[in-house]
Amino acid sequence: MARKMLIDGELSQTNEAEEGHFDFDLFVIGAGSGGVRASRFSTNFGAKKVGICELPFHPISSEVIGGVGGTCVIRGCVPKKILVYGASFGGELEDARNYGWELKENLDFNWKKLLKKKTDEILRLNGIYKRLLSNAGVKLYEGEGRVVGPNEVEVTQLDGTKLRYSAKHILIATGSRAHSPAIPGQELAITSDEALSLEEMPKRAVVLGGGYIAVEFASIWRGMGASVDLFFRKELPLRGFDDEMRAVVARNLEGRGINMHPRKNLTELIKTEDGIKVRTDHGEELVADVVLFATGRIPNSKRLNLEAVGVEVDKMGAIKVNEHSQTNIPSIWAIGDVTNRMNLTPVALMEGTCFAKTVFGGEPTKPDYDHIPCAVFSIPPLSVVGLSEEQAIEQATGDILVFTSSFNPMRNTISGRQEKTVMKLVVDADTDKVLGASMCGPDAPEIMQGIAIALKCGATKAQFDSTVGIHPSAAEEFVTMRSVSRRVDGAKKPKTSM
Amino acid sequence: MRPVNLTLTLRLSNRIEVPTPQPASHNRQSHHGSRQIRYALFGPSPLIFPAYSYSFLYFPHRIETPVAGVAQNLQSLLKASTLPASPDSPPMAATSLTAPKLTFSPTLQSLYRNLTIPIPLSSSSPSFLSLRKTLPSHHSRSFSLFQQPRRQFTARADSDNGTESPRQYDFDLFTIGAGSGGVRASRFAANFGASVAICELPFATISSDTAGGVGGTCVLRGCVPKKLLVYASKYAHEFDESNGFGWKYESEPKHDWSTLMANKNAELQRLTGIYKNILKNANVSLIEGRGKIVDPHTVNVDGKIYTARHILVSVGGRPFIPDIPGKEYAIDSDAALDLPSQPKKIAIVGGGYIALEFAGIFNSLKSEVHVFIRQKKVLRGFDEEVRDFVSEQMSLRGIEFHTEESPQAIVKSGDGSLSLKTNKGTVEGFSHIMFATGRKPNTKNLGLENVGVKIAKNGAIEVDEYSRTAVPSIWAVGDVTDRINLTPVALMEGMALAKTLFKDEPSKPDYRAVPAAVFCQPPIGNVGLTEEQAINEYGDVDIYTSNFRPLKATLSGLPDRVFMKLLVCAKSEKVIGLHMCGEDAPEIVQGFAVAIKAGLTKADFDATVGIHPTAAEEFVTMRTPTRKIRGNPKSEETKDQETKAAAGV
Repeated sequence: MARKMLIDGELSQTNEAEEGHFDFDLFVIGAGSGGVRASRFSTNFGAKKVGICELPFHPISSEVIGGVGGTCVIRGCVPKKILVYGASFGGELEDARNYGWELKENLDFNWKKLLKKKTDEILRLNGIYKRLLSNAGVKLYEGEGRVVGPNEVEVTQLDGTKLRYSAKHILIATGSRAHSPAIPGQELAITSDEALSLEEMPKRAVVLGGGYIAVEFASIWRGMGASVDLFFRKELPLRGFDDEMRAVVARNLEGRGINMHPRKNLTELIKTEDGIKVRTDHGEELVADVVLFATGRIPNSKRLNLEAVGVEVDKMGAIKVNEHSQTNIPSIWAIGDVTNRMNLTPVALMEGTCFAKTVFGGEPTKPDYDHIPCAVFSIPPLSVVGLSEEQAIEQATGDILVFTSSFNPMRNTISGRQEKTVMKLVVDADTDKVLGASMCGPDAPEIMQGIAIALKCGATKAQFDSTVGIHPSAAEEFVTMRSVSRRVDGAKKPKTSM
Repeated sequence: MRPVNLTLTLRLSNRIEVPTPQPASHNRQSHHGSRQIRYALFGPSPLIFPAYSYSFLYFPHRIETPVAGVAQNLQSLLKASTLPASPDSPPMAATSLTAPKLTFSPTLQSLYRNLTIPIPLSSSSPSFLSLRKTLPSHHSRSFSLFQQPRRQFTARADSDNGTESPRQYDFDLFTIGAGSGGVRASRFAANFGASVAICELPFATISSDTAGGVGGTCVLRGCVPKKLLVYASKYAHEFDESNGFGWKYESEPKHDWSTLMANKNAELQRLTGIYKNILKNANVSLIEGRGKIVDPHTVNVDGKIYTARHILVSVGGRPFIPDIPGKEYAIDSDAALDLPSQPKKIAIVGGGYIALEFAGIFNSLKSEVHVFIRQKKVLRGFDEEVRDFVSEQMSLRGIEFHTEESPQAIVKSGDGSLSLKTNKGTVEGFSHIMFATGRKPNTKNLGLENVGVKIAKNGAIEVDEYSRTAVPSIWAVGDVTDRINLTPVALMEGMALAKTLFKDEPSKPDYRAVPAAVFCQPPIGNVGLTEEQAINEYGDVDIYTSNFRPLKATLSGLPDRVFMKLLVCAKSEKVIGLHMCGEDAPEIVQGFAVAIKAGLTKADFDATVGIHPTAAEEFVTMRTPTRKIRGNPKSEETKDQETKAAAGV
């Protein structure tokens, strides 16, 4: 059926969706992490005809280009992590000297080579994703999808021809895109999409934003040897994370040579011969080769024709869904960044799995947003699971115990690097449950995954303590924190304004 | 009020804590004071207690000795030294008021041995706490001021009872050997109020009958220097990797062995100093010299005699080289960690973790490395698939394995090079031959046999679950008991012993789900059972494996891979074993060890959201079992390659 549709697009228009006779059981708009997962699993759960559409591949996204794999694979997690790997070598090579390695003062870093290898890798992954879809029997269409009715979608192909299909269920998984503030000269700035595919490696970079994308790119460029100025509105970067850990990240970024500009904003960008002149709201001026706006992302919901069909979106443009990812139109569902719940790949995967189980597995399943671990791949990285100290105090009825450990990792004892690893456990004094764990230091994201299982399952501090350490590791510190750093009365709830 | 079982067994204190800092002459008053505390503590609820115990019953409120501030500084020092499993973190400052304790005279002690009396006991008596507030920081005063009154007081209490005068000892605890286990036990014993001495041989990087050093094997000849060498050597791999990420070197980076040795030794000196400070700050008396047991309560340290209520033997183990012709040319791991020059070509005899770790170190530093193992595979006792995987990965990095080859002799040729003769032939041209053929407990010449301490055939001290030897006043922890020879296990044993002896809290070390790591390259981390053990123990087991090329390797172009394995009991759904070989495995496994120790199920793993993109997330995204082992020998293979290629999506 689906194949026939592709051959003769016109046919679909005549094939009005009668009761129970749809072209597709499921049609997915957007083949990113959530969309691919949902469509694959839907076929696993018995959906017979599943279609998915995605824009043509390009490293830099727009309204008309994207690619199978989505943000994570093409413009997010994967290429970002590749660049972080590349940049991390900068610091590691410095560290090697005191271990007896003789290296030249200035090491040569070839950005173009890394960029090419990165593009090769995401093309490879793009291919793997396409194969995954075809192996699962999911029909892939290249083109821009939009919703025409509660059970009807339209795909505009590259050549402009339009295909229309009826579908019992429509899933919107179109993700999000970087959003830039409107200041004079904003067109001179780039977003994270371009930053992952720059022709030249910047020597002077200005980054605006205090979120994880901002600190990650600041770390990447700094690690590769650029001078980096990071501007953000708050006192500390990474709003929403544990305040103490935010301060640690800020200190580390500074320690690695990033110029930190808290409580400052950019007001104007001016093109000059020497580069982009950047003006701040404090009257400062600096010149940069690259200005990155990492000032948030907005859901890709504008060109989906949602208003016409009556799908509700919020002020941000995020599609409103219930706990099962269903929109106000019962046959239309949405998952991933376009719903702006928790914008992480593994969360979109979870939402996709739950959707497939709910709709085709006969097992209504809600995504569980408790204890979702996450990582910021700054250099060194931050990783957290559960509550921050502030959140724990906010929610507490009794006392909160905070265990912290700040130590010089073993590698630094010889490398001489002055950078502490900081770990933190937040514990409910009454139940002994570990409510939150955070770490900033090398390998934090790898270390935190196992801790996340323990927290997810309500592990107590006593259970942490009864676990024997792996020596010598950084991670063993999590099971050897014996002394309470402080006890906070949850009833008093001190306020912070960072 | 809730009933608390107070086991009044092992506490043989000859001193009783003074509730308030009183001059020594005010014992009577102190006595009175402590009785008041008891009344306040128990409030209206009457104690049902044998009358004769009455006058010996005290509830000393105990405040951990070292000043909190000092302790904090210490911790930062310690962390700086990366002893994450710090032999000692500071005492629990926030709970400086430990639970009330019962203190008995030795006579009563014998009456009460093994007797458990349930006593209703309030865990937080307001009056008890308020008393604490009224106390000046008397614990910041000197140790001696504290000690004397307690002694006298005890004697007085005993004479009150009209019993024979108790034997006076120089110390409550005398520890022989200041390694991980000894330092931990001593420090915490002191924190719990005991007077403690510890003896240790003078510092040297290479251990012998006359040389050792505070810090022990872990700090001076094991975990720490080994890991520093692993860090140093791993850079070579990172240079190779970095090529794939755009970094270029005009010429191959060269390594200078002597810089590494100098920096390593400076670090070891710093650490042994920190350990000494830890002991000092905990008020543990450090005596340099070789301790030998004279009788169940007496230790002779190079001619000086010390008596102690308890003696702890924590003298560790030492490398063992089999007796073959030419063994004098061989080096052990002590020497390998402190070589004057880097080996050009080295033979490493042994297939255990020490052999593999040194093979990795020297191979990465571009020595030619040959590993000779008696068996078919490396790492006996580890999961079979891990054994295969790691040797394959190490071979790919250039290590040559000679399997089923036992050494028979070492021959030195005219040019100074060494040849290793085995049952299969002779390999020539080695600059070094290292034996990593096991370790033996350091139990010789300790006087153990003479006092009746039982020793196993391999030289290990036999102990019960509480680390007690055949002589009731002599205890042993750590490698000298050859239980699980790991630093964190020695720490656990030392801590349990301190609690047993001096906190009225008999504690057995718990050897379930002890995680471990091998710092070969790539490293291994594991916790719980191997597949073979799991099948033996549970029969029906679901096995999840994943063997993948990590993101870093796809860019670097190196043949590095990662292997992961989960073993799930089919009946209970519990995860009973977890294994990983690949970059960061030791760091990754720690958190999972918490989960496995807590008895979590596969469903709990699956319910946990991944951290993307990491290697570790693979452990929470293993959806399809690779094999299902069921009671009948036929196992069900359900390999799903597609799932693996899915990269999580």
